[in-house]
Amino acid sequence: MSTARPDPGALRLRVAVVAAGDGVAARLAARVVESGHHPVAAGEPCDVLLTDGAGAAGGVPAVAIGVEADDFAGLLPADAGPAALDAALRAVAAGLCVRPAQSLSPGFAALSEEPAPVLTPREVEVLAALAEGLGTKAVARRLAISPHTVKFHIEGLFRKLDAATRAEAVAKGLRRQIVEF
Amino acid sequence: MTEPAEDMLSRLSKALAARAAAAGPLVASVAVRGRERLSGTLWRQGLVVVSEQALPRRFDEAEVRLADGRRLDARLAGRDPATNVALLRVGEAAAPAWSPAADPQPGALAMTLGVDGAGASSVRVGAIRHVGPEWHSRAGGRIDRRIMLDLRIEPSEEGGPVIDMTGGLLGISTLGPRRRLLVIPTATVERVLEPLAHNGRIARGWLGVAVQRVTVPEELRAAAGQTEGLMALAVAENGPAAAAGVLMGDILVALDGTGLTGMTRLAGLLGAEAVGKRFALRLIRAGAVHSVEVTIAERPSQ
Repeated sequence: MSTARPDPGALRLRVAVVAAGDGVAARLAARVVESGHHPVAAGEPCDVLLTDGAGAAGGVPAVAIGVEADDFAGLLPADAGPAALDAALRAVAAGLCVRPAQSLSPGFAALSEEPAPVLTPREVEVLAALAEGLGTKAVARRLAISPHTVKFHIEGLFRKLDAATRAEAVAKGLRRQIVEF
Repeated sequence: MTEPAEDMLSRLSKALAARAAAAGPLVASVAVRGRERLSGTLWRQGLVVVSEQALPRRFDEAEVRLADGRRLDARLAGRDPATNVALLRVGEAAAPAWSPAADPQPGALAMTLGVDGAGASSVRVGAIRHVGPEWHSRAGGRIDRRIMLDLRIEPSEEGGPVIDMTGGLLGISTLGPRRRLLVIPTATVERVLEPLAHNGRIARGWLGVAVQRVTVPEELRAAAGQTEGLMALAVAENGPAAAAGVLMGDILVALDGTGLTGMTRLAGLLGAEAVGKRFALRLIRAGAVHSVEVTIAERPSQ
């Protein structure tokens, strides 16, 4: 087992394949090649392990494919493509954790009330116009109010959303709860 | 003669094990597509309750293994994302007798049962960390009590029974935000069970708007009778609100006489019983309070 770090300049990682059967190991090795990396036999010096869940990781960061076990640094669905495998191998070799996005279930949650402070209708309209990338004058034209008034509402948005820039106000404002009924 | 402390602990331990064994027949191990493993609760004859959010979006068949080892083919009978209840039909499998739990108390012990990812049984014991009144889920479902447990479970264990220390059924386990464990109470499951088994879904009222909470402009607060309302940011084409003439930017302030000061108020007005009802909808537009009539439709399936 090697503690060698992947060379940032190197394109290929040495990936040790650990699987329950030779057939599975051969298929995983083929997928390593497809993803642009170099498969090595289990036990040889490597940067990262790829397993079907059979092998204990033993200190080397491992990507497990087609299994759900939280004890692997990397988890990929069984049908992960070469690009996903490449990304996961690199990330895990670099010491990061990898999980498929869809596994992040938001959970069963309550319909929560929007946090205070609540925006005014004008502030919501100004925010929507800012989100479209309109400048102060364009917002003023659309809402048929003066640019001075637009600036006043933007100040209000900055204060209520604790934002320093228009981009931050838009980002924070868009995260506010909009619910369909 | 007083007994040594070890004996009390050992008695407690045996009592817990006995509770787990007694509740064991309620647990169903559900295999979807042959591999994804879930937990379920054998609720009634031929009906297994599972967690709706744990089920794949689409699936054709599942296999249910009961505590006595019987394997049964299961078909989806209905699913309701709003209460996180889904029903699987499993032939004529007789359900064990159970009784609903009494009012849960914070700090009391509860037990979750389910199966792990390999289908082996899993039992956990922990405290009831919070009990609250009824609440509404994000999808608008009414949940009869807020019951949260001081336990962590694996995703495969979700949907199994949760019992109290008298063996009463508190409900089914459900993963909340950040994988906190909450309980869909027995009363909620019982309420949706029949309509789900018959129709495959739960009807809910639909207004056809996307809203955000806003403040009511000061000069209109007296006329509106409240300081906050719900601004329509989108109006669904062909929806009831559109038919009633609601426009984007309108601030909805009351429906059927109930002030719309928050999302929960509106969710509470749009239960199954509201479908087909004609309600007065008060709204603010162009600096004045108006009233329109809206006929609540049934929420289209997603």
